[in-house]
Amino acid sequence: MQKSEFYDILMETLEIESVDSLNESTVLTDLEEYDSLAVLSLIAMIDEHFGKRIPGTEFQKITTVKSLMDLIGVDFE
Amino acid sequence: MTGAHIQKIETYLPERILTNIELEKTYVDWSAEKIEQKTGVRERHIAAENETAVDLACYAANKLLKLVDPAAIDFLILCTQSPDYYLPPGSCLLQERLGLSTSIGALDFDLGCSGFIYGLAMAKGLIQAEIAKHVLFITSETYSKHIHSQDRGNRSIFGDGAAAILITASESKCIGEFALGTDGSGYQNLIVPAGGMRHRYHPDAEALKDPSGSIRTENHLYMNGPDIFTFTIEAVPKVVQQCLEKNCMAIDDLDYVIFHQANQYILNHLRKKVGIPENKFYMNMLHVGNTVSATIPIALKDSMDHGLIHPGDRVMVVGFGVGYSWGATVLRI
Repeated sequence: MQKSEFYDILMETLEIESVDSLNESTVLTDLEEYDSLAVLSLIAMIDEHFGKRIPGTEFQKITTVKSLMDLIGVDFE
Repeated sequence: MTGAHIQKIETYLPERILTNIELEKTYVDWSAEKIEQKTGVRERHIAAENETAVDLACYAANKLLKLVDPAAIDFLILCTQSPDYYLPPGSCLLQERLGLSTSIGALDFDLGCSGFIYGLAMAKGLIQAEIAKHVLFITSETYSKHIHSQDRGNRSIFGDGAAAILITASESKCIGEFALGTDGSGYQNLIVPAGGMRHRYHPDAEALKDPSGSIRTENHLYMNGPDIFTFTIEAVPKVVQQCLEKNCMAIDDLDYVIFHQANQYILNHLRKKVGIPENKFYMNMLHVGNTVSATIPIALKDSMDHGLIHPGDRVMVVGFGVGYSWGATVLRI
C-alpha cells in the first residue's frame, strides 16, 4: 500500500478534521480525535484493509503514525 | 410434538432513564452527540438503588403470565450476572413471587451476552427430552450496579433490563440447530475482579484510572474494549458460518439477523464482515443500550412489534461476550 493511501484511510477512520494532512511523524495521540473509541476504529480498519488482528494492549504503544505503521507490520511504499 | 418454539416474549425496563445529556453534564469533554454517534446509544434505563435483577425479572414475567396460565409453567430458568444473593438462586425466589407451582424445576445460570442463546439451548433440550413442556426463561441484568460512577465508558454503553421468554413444545422445530463456543483465555477482559471468593470484596479498593479518564476499582466492572472487539471479529463470523451449516442454510435464506446489541460501531463492522445486508440486520440500542443477556429478546420483541419480523420468518440470533462465550441459532418465528 502507498503511504499516501494509508494516510487517507487513517484520516477517514479517525474522522480527523483538526489537521490538514498526516505524515509519519504526526503524533496521533495528541489529536483531539484520538479518543477512547479510536482504538476500536483502528482495529476495524486494520481488519478490513490488512486482514490482521493485533492484541489490544499493543495499541497502548502507539504514539506517531509511524508507530502505528510498524504495528501493522506491512511494507508501505 | 417434535420441537420447541418461542411462544411469547415480554420485557421490562426500569423507570429511570439516564440520557447522554446527563452524562455530558457529569463528565468534562464528553459530548452527548458524540456518545450517540460512536456507540449508537442515546439513553439507557437504570435500576433503582433497591431494585434488583429478580425484581426486573418479576416485572417482565408478570406481564407474560397475564397472557399464559402460571399453572402451566413447569420449568423456570434465570440468567443473570447481577444476582440478588450468592445463594439461594434467584429462580427459587421467583417461583414464590410469581406464584408458580412448587412442582417446577428451577435454576440460575451465569452467562452474559451469550446467555439468551444458551438459555434457548437448555429450554429446547428440556422440552425435546420431555422433561418440561412450558419453560419460562428469564434474562435479567443490572450491570449498572457493577459499574463505577466515574466509569464513563461503561456507563455510556450499558443499560439495565429484563426479558421473559415462554418456550413451549411445537409440531415443527422452530428453534433450530445451535453453534456454541467458549474460550476462557479471555476471562480477564470482561470481569468484576473482586467480590467473589478468589478476591474478596475490598472496602478500601484503590481507584484505577485508564488513559481515557474512566475510573473504577477492583470491585467494579472492567472491560477491555479493544480485546473484546478483536475477539468478536474472530468468533462472530465463524459462529455465523457454523450455524448456517448446521441449519443447512445460506445468509440469503434468512429473513433477519439479530446480534447481541454490543454497540453500534462493533455491530456495523461485524455486519459488513459477515456480509449481512443492512435491511436484514436489526439494531435497537438507541433507547436501551447494551442490556447484556436481555439485548436479543428485547430486540426480537421490538422488531416483531414494529412489524419488521413476521410469523414464519427465519431469524438468526447471535450472542457473544463475557467468558469468552458465544453462540448462535436460527429461529422460525
